[in-house]
Amino acid sequence: MPSTNSPPAISLDALRSGDPQALAALFEAYADRIYRLALSLLRDPSAAEDIVQETFVSAMTHLDRFEGRSSLGTWLYRVGYNASLDWLRRRRDEPLPPDEPGDESEAVPLPRSLVEWRLTPESRQAEGEMAAELDRAIGELSESLRLVFLLRDVDELSTQETAEALGLTEGAVKVRLHRARLALREKLSDYFTERTPQEGEAA
Amino acid sequence: MNCQELIRYLSDYIDRSLSDELHAEAQQHLATCHNCHVVLDTTRQTIYLYRQSGRQAIPAEHRAELFARLQQSLAARKDSAS
Repeated sequence: MPSTNSPPAISLDALRSGDPQALAALFEAYADRIYRLALSLLRDPSAAEDIVQETFVSAMTHLDRFEGRSSLGTWLYRVGYNASLDWLRRRRDEPLPPDEPGDESEAVPLPRSLVEWRLTPESRQAEGEMAAELDRAIGELSESLRLVFLLRDVDELSTQETAEALGLTEGAVKVRLHRARLALREKLSDYFTERTPQEGEAA
Repeated sequence: MNCQELIRYLSDYIDRSLSDELHAEAQQHLATCHNCHVVLDTTRQTIYLYRQSGRQAIPAEHRAELFARLQQSLAARKDSAS
């Protein structure tokens, strides 16, 4: 798996002058990240690819609007996020679901499951099943929790970068991340505590 | 620090963004509270599992085509602009 941490610095001047290598480097560093962001919102792989295309075209044609207050990467996330929201608005007759209520409140439900997980190397046999379970659990999160979790914990953006990309305060990012982690833990608990080794599984 | 407070600070604890004082208090609580230790451990595993498997990428067979399409779009825009 390619490391997606700390993408290389890409020269803005090179991009502005139309340097094809700079464009390729930018695509290499961010296309998958924008794809994941779009896929997480749209749930449609082919539409997510269109969003990648739209994001890069829009970013490259509006490079003059990029003011350098955030990093180029954070800005791309933001363009991709807005493109995804536009797609959803076009597709959905009903308005977007209401945002997380009580964003600034730190109240979170106390954990329900207090059992240790059985995550043993043998459970790797069921990797496909586990991936489906991870998908199911994150799919049940509200969009706003899912996105913050994706940017912070999967793509490993900082709180500040995530806030800039999604247009949130840093406080809201922290609260949502906390809720998302605890909610996912709870959703996965049943699966990982029930998965006791079955007879003949090692065969 | 009690269990409720520990849970409230759990993400900050995992992200090492607590003050030294609170971090020490959390550590002290975790050393004696099995339940909170399980919650910490399983929350870390949750993050780890998604980090390992959650990095979906553009399907390899579409990637080059997507980049080519991008280059074409940009070239077309440049032509129409000049």
